[in-house]
Amino acid sequence: MPNSSLIRDLSRVVGRRWVLHEPEDLLVYEYDATIERGLPEAVVLPYNANQVSQVVRIARRHNAPVTARGAGTGLSGGAIPCDGGIVIVTSRMNRILEVDAGNRIAVVEPGVINQDITDAVAPHGLYFAPDPSSQKVCTIGGNVAENAGGPHCLRYGTTTNHVLGLEIVTPEGDLVWLGGKTADPPGYDLTGLVVGSEGTICIVTKVIVRLMDCPQSTVTLLAIFDEVDQASHAVSAIIGQGIVPAALEMMDRNTMRAVEEAVQAGYPPDAGAVLLIEVDGLEEETREQADSVRAVCEELGARELRIGFSAEDRERLWAGRKGALGALGRLAPSYYILDGVVPRSKLPAVLRGVYEACDSFGFQVANVFHAGDGNLHPNVMFDERVPGATQRVLDLGEVIMRLCVEAGGTITGEHGVGYEKRNYMSWIFSEDDLEVMAGVKLAFGATDLFNPGKIFPSSKGCGEVSSRMKAAIAKVGPDAYV
Amino acid sequence: MVKQASLLSQLEAIVGADGVRRSDELSAFAVDGLTPQAAVAPSSYEQVAEVLRYAHTEGLAVIPHGGGTHMHIGNVPGRYDIGLSLLRLDQVVEHEPADLTVTCQAGITLDRLQRHLGQHGQLVPLGPAWGEEATIGGILAANASGPSRHAHGAPRDFTIGMKVVTADGRITKAGGRVVKNVAGYDLCKLYIGSLGTLGVIVEASFKLAPTAKVERTAVATFETPGQACAFAADLQRRGLTLRAVQLLNATAASAVELAQQGLCALVLDLAGTPQAVERSRREIGDLAQDAAADLRDEENAAKAWESRMRLGSTEEAYLLCKATALPTHLSALIESLETVDGPPHILALPAVGVLYASWPRLEDAEAAVGRLRTAVTAVDGSLVLERCPLDIKPRLDIFGDPPPSFDLMRRVKEQFDPKGVLSPGRQVGRL
Ligand SMILES: Cc1cc2nc3c(=O)[nH]c(=O)nc-3n(C[C@H](O)[C@H](O)[C@H](O)COP(=O)(O)OP(=O)(O)OC[C@H]3O[C@@H](n4cnc5c(N)ncnc54)[C@H](O)[C@@H]3O)c2cc1C
Repeated sequence: MPNSSLIRDLSRVVGRRWVLHEPEDLLVYEYDATIERGLPEAVVLPYNANQVSQVVRIARRHNAPVTARGAGTGLSGGAIPCDGGIVIVTSRMNRILEVDAGNRIAVVEPGVINQDITDAVAPHGLYFAPDPSSQKVCTIGGNVAENAGGPHCLRYGTTTNHVLGLEIVTPEGDLVWLGGKTADPPGYDLTGLVVGSEGTICIVTKVIVRLMDCPQSTVTLLAIFDEVDQASHAVSAIIGQGIVPAALEMMDRNTMRAVEEAVQAGYPPDAGAVLLIEVDGLEEETREQADSVRAVCEELGARELRIGFSAEDRERLWAGRKGALGALGRLAPSYYILDGVVPRSKLPAVLRGVYEACDSFGFQVANVFHAGDGNLHPNVMFDERVPGATQRVLDLGEVIMRLCVEAGGTITGEHGVGYEKRNYMSWIFSEDDLEVMAGVKLAFGATDLFNPGKIFPSSKGCGEVSSRMKAAIAKVGPDAYV
Repeated sequence: MVKQASLLSQLEAIVGADGVRRSDELSAFAVDGLTPQAAVAPSSYEQVAEVLRYAHTEGLAVIPHGGGTHMHIGNVPGRYDIGLSLLRLDQVVEHEPADLTVTCQAGITLDRLQRHLGQHGQLVPLGPAWGEEATIGGILAANASGPSRHAHGAPRDFTIGMKVVTADGRITKAGGRVVKNVAGYDLCKLYIGSLGTLGVIVEASFKLAPTAKVERTAVATFETPGQACAFAADLQRRGLTLRAVQLLNATAASAVELAQQGLCALVLDLAGTPQAVERSRREIGDLAQDAAADLRDEENAAKAWESRMRLGSTEEAYLLCKATALPTHLSALIESLETVDGPPHILALPAVGVLYASWPRLEDAEAAVGRLRTAVTAVDGSLVLERCPLDIKPRLDIFGDPPPSFDLMRRVKEQFDPKGVLSPGRQVGRL
């Protein structure tokens, strides 16, 4: 039975309607897009920053941990309340407060959907660059917490490169502004520190984002290769030509097979891999770069090249990529989405390792990923109804993460550490490194109030719920893609 | 307090005789008029760590030094015992051209690193003044940037990892060597611009950029900064291949002979593929004609940036400040700064919203600083006195009033350096 005085206190701040505590209501907030689960005691939907601050003060008084939640599309268990407590959902804080087109900035609340920012500023010829594949549903608060990336981060950087300032609620319940609208604010760059902190040191209540001018022209190329190896060599070769495309994505044979059945993108059934390459800028520039990209791909054995100049043609070339994740559902009842990064030059070797590992575990894998950044997303197909399959898939994930680390890479490029990868942190960071990070948490006074059980290694399970752990893989819509 | 003789012998035991600087070399380590009791130049990360462990135990204050080009930035140190030079840590650690990343030691100079990368058609998009002497570690600690920031962003945007020695002498890591990485807190952001108050940067990794196929510079001149800023804003909307846009006020422009007396200059650096640069130059020409602005090509692309170097050099700058404002407020800010004694030399990056202004001499510097602060506050900007006469500096916080998040900053400093070993007092609010 939930703590009734807690519910009463929360209701007084946000109104009864916006405090959920009945078991059937809470179930919806038990999971995100990963395998883990954890049940909160109460879910609160505040309307503004002030209410968030009051909720945090109440949580302190009741000794209840607080986990912020945006759209729940996270892929590392970030929004799961591992120790129960209160989940603060930002969906009612979804106003775009200010658009300053002249200075290319906007001020938005954390519950604003990523795509809505771009839609709101498009009339000014501007857009918000970070484009996680979940952008039609995920929130800017979640993007900030995870430092989300996306296909176009190769050239334009991830969320951290596009956030200028933040209003936050500290663990003491204080509202504080970090950074600001102007460049280089004096003092420490706390904005940069909070981006990527996965909700463990503060709750973000406002975000000042940087906007970019829409490029004048965009050209998309699709290069089809017989072998994955050829495609991954082409990735390095394109970069080696001095071209940093806006996006450089790869899909392998299994992905293409699924996509073909779902959206008929016209991929040859016997092809090994495709690269989707986008260049943008002035028309002259994109044509020159597209020519160079074409030459590199041909030289490295691309058997077919398709090119799109018009919005329509480009859309068609992207369709397969965008439909990929939804399509993968056709190959198996569930899939486990991995996220690791390797130096670009190690792509061919690590990809080979990924296939071998999947083979030896007896799982099929479909790779669809941000190749230009060396950011792998192997999607491992499995059936959670088969006893032991979930655990074996998690074990395989660990093996693949090790491959990335051994190649000089890292355990996550954009999905975050969360609960899922906290115990891999010690593969790449020493105790001293982690202690310095823990110092940040202490400086914010966060201890275990905000999102406990995340980022830092721990043997503790995800609350009592870990016993009920079962595969609950994201049920994603048809136009979702990773 | 440790006696100097014992201090020197302890330090010598750590860094060896050739790592300890002679007493006649100590003046080179002076910061805001304070000279340390000793200065060392360790030759390994471990030696840096050991020096810090020693200082930490003894409660001594350490200030890290690179090339010494940005040491004037920061408040007057509260204490200062040991100067710590990173100049002997000057190697490229790893550069795999196909990865478009580099890892180097903190003491390498910017120019040397660029020369190395240039052989492979790559560059690190840093570009502050005095690259001959400025070291990577110093540039990061000072968050120094150059005009190419217009296109490539500031150091925070392409620094992907660091090795940092903590105040108590532990060698730690932040980030990594790959271009995308969200494992753990992004501590690089904290160290960049920390002015050596949170840790000693001994190594850094960067995302690189390919060098441009073609580069070209054009200069447009205008009667007022307002016209120049409007022109710059118009250019930006067109998505031209501009790598840098610098605005020099009339005083600065005539000093480097970029404009006739009384006119300000907008220096436009183009970089990209041949046809794109060609087209951009053409479009700029058309726009200049519409705006009735004088436009010409400039062979010496570095000329404008030279004025920034002059702006900051000891002989010529009595007071040097960096001010920020929203781009749409920048020309108003320039105009109001020009009314403060002077006339000042001003170099601005219009699209970024940053300017550097320097006064060769001032009757009453303190009063002038007051007027600068008023001017900046009026446009909701920020003001840092990067170079400030020593007779008034101890009385001022060169960063102005602490920001709203100061309490959090103070707590960060307390966590990272509880004993105040690292550059004590130099940051905002004398952290
Ligand atoms: C189909 C699919 C495709 C995806 N593609 C990408 C991709 O291309 N790139 C990418 O980077 N990610 C991708 N993701 C992962 C996910 O969408 C991102 O991590 C996204 O940023 C999460 O946003 P959210 O609103 O769903 O956050 P949630 O999942 O609700 O929360 C994520 C984390 O943010 C914290 N948080 C949320 N709001 C706040 C706040 N206001 N203050 C503090 N902390 C907060 C939570 O506590 C949690 O730790 C994908 C996910 C799916 C399901």
